[in-house]
Amino acid sequence: MNRWEIAALVIMVALLPCLGVAVFAGAAAALAAVEVASVLAVTALMLLSEGFRRQPFIDLAVVLALLSTVGSLTFARLMEADP
Amino acid sequence: MSGVRHAVPSVLLIAGVVLQVTAVIGVSVMRNVLDRLHYVSLAGFGALLVGISILCAESFSLIGDKALVTGALLVLAGPVLVHATARSLRARALGDWREGIEEHREEEG
Repeated sequence: MNRWEIAALVIMVALLPCLGVAVFAGAAAALAAVEVASVLAVTALMLLSEGFRRQPFIDLAVVLALLSTVGSLTFARLMEADP
Repeated sequence: MSGVRHAVPSVLLIAGVVLQVTAVIGVSVMRNVLDRLHYVSLAGFGALLVGISILCAESFSLIGDKALVTGALLVLAGPVLVHATARSLRARALGDWREGIEEHREEEG
């Protein structure tokens, strides 16, 4: 394993606490955890792209960064309307 | 010189990963939702450091350019996300996010 793959592994392990918060905490805390987890997932894709020397993976990271931002904003908007 | 070219990406990579792990610890440990939200932007800065690290290792290539753009996008989107989420949580709790804002406004003059 090179340094990029090791860093990607650390980031992917760090996703587990975010998953725990999203499952066991309230909806508002889960939204914060999902926002952090999406940043971590984008970073892991960037690192895997560099580690495996596969250029298409970086496109996935760019698209995920855009979509996760829009998705989180949508969840925040919907949560405002939810009583 | 080769050692420096190898060391700079490693240092930036470690700093980025440490920032992101710190963000995860903060989101997991903090009790208040608004306290947890502070760590969303921190994770974005970690992604930017990782992107700069890849750029230093790759120079201006397809992967390096897109990694930098992705990191910059996450840094710019972080405060927007935090603001929108905090505002929606306030509106959810009080009915309107402007509710009670006059009580916190400092006296002018």
